[in-house]
Amino acid sequence: MIEIKGVVKTYDKRMVLNIPHLVFDDSKRYALIGVNGSGKSTLLRILAGVLKPDTGEVTHIPPNDMGYMPQAPYAFSFSVKKNVSIALGKGYEDKGQVQHALQAVGINHLQNARGNQLSGGETQRMALARMIVKRRNLLLLDEPTASADIRGISQIEKVLLDYADENNCTLILSTHSPAQALRLVDEVLFLDQGEVIAQGLAEDVLHTPKHPVIQEFLDHWKI
Amino acid sequence: MDGIIKALSLLFGENPELRQIIGVTLRMSVISTTISSGLGIPLGVLIGSKEFKGKHWVQRFTNTLMGLPPVVGGLAVFLLLSRSGPLGTLKLLYSVTAMVIAQVVLITPIMTGLTATIISIPAPRIRETAQGVGISAWRQMWLMIYECRSQLISTILVGFGRAIAEVGAVQIVGGNVQYKTRVMTTAIMMQTNMGQFHFAIALGIVLLTISFGINALVHFLESRGRT
Repeated sequence: MIEIKGVVKTYDKRMVLNIPHLVFDDSKRYALIGVNGSGKSTLLRILAGVLKPDTGEVTHIPPNDMGYMPQAPYAFSFSVKKNVSIALGKGYEDKGQVQHALQAVGINHLQNARGNQLSGGETQRMALARMIVKRRNLLLLDEPTASADIRGISQIEKVLLDYADENNCTLILSTHSPAQALRLVDEVLFLDQGEVIAQGLAEDVLHTPKHPVIQEFLDHWKI
Repeated sequence: MDGIIKALSLLFGENPELRQIIGVTLRMSVISTTISSGLGIPLGVLIGSKEFKGKHWVQRFTNTLMGLPPVVGGLAVFLLLSRSGPLGTLKLLYSVTAMVIAQVVLITPIMTGLTATIISIPAPRIRETAQGVGISAWRQMWLMIYECRSQLISTILVGFGRAIAEVGAVQIVGGNVQYKTRVMTTAIMMQTNMGQFHFAIALGIVLLTISFGINALVHFLESRGRT
């Protein structure tokens, strides 16, 4: 279980996150939804430990148990294979996990290419391969399909669902897409101006919105 | 024209003083660049990659030292090493060691400042990505150095270029002593004052050739780093 208590984060006196109390249960899948600047990425970064809140407490998660994929993951200039194997960590031997991860995300044919020569979508897949290359108890993913095309999105979603099921891991991802949230997660947290304005089962929050901000957000998704 | 012909015959001849001057210059520049790289690059990596209190002040201080006039740096080292100075007992004044110290004082801040600027660009993304998969802080720093290797080699070459072309500080602490501390720049200055233009031109050609070589190498490495 991950618990957040009294977390506040400000940038230049502008409050970007204010969460009095929040709990993420083990082995569950969560989506953080909201417009740009609503605090999704900030919350993920604080959970991952890459950003310190001004105040408050977050359950410490050992780095080896967790994988965090930022919105713009860095692609190192060495080979794609090595870009993924560095995520195995010291003392871990590659017994085919790298190959397996690359195959799962569909870029096995690029394993010898230089990481910094990949396209945006390929970089995101490589970053996802880093996440799934070993067993983790928690995955924090900031818009994991933002640069993917329609085929890539369904492939990545399948990879995430399979990984979460196989490893019984907690999944927390941010997305702009209510449809993706409905496909992938158990619970949705809707953020607006740094605050969680709705939390509950994905179907409940997104099919019967109770907050006007959520209704307005969902109106934009109607075709 | 006569001066250039004489200079070329000097260059391709066997003038012991000319060879000795070139040798001292290269030795001094290589040693001071190596020491400055060893000090300045790790410091620059730390400043560029870490977020800490007072970082702005450290950067401003480094930037100020980057523009330190060579004669002022030379004067400071001279006062430090002079007989009545705090390190006077070491009797290093008017030696190649003193010239190396002066150059380290001048070049290290340049190395630090350039490295910090180079590293600070990819550092946040590298740190966030690496931290996200549990890579240790030390390994993150090595990854930053690896990713910026071309620019860092260019920085070393810039430092070498500065060292080899420096005149004010080495003149003050080295004293331009024949067969001891005379380097290309101080020799060019002296020979020009004496009207021995062919000697000055010969040294100028060597200096320009080295500068051209360094510049070509910097451009090559930078273009390689961009691909």
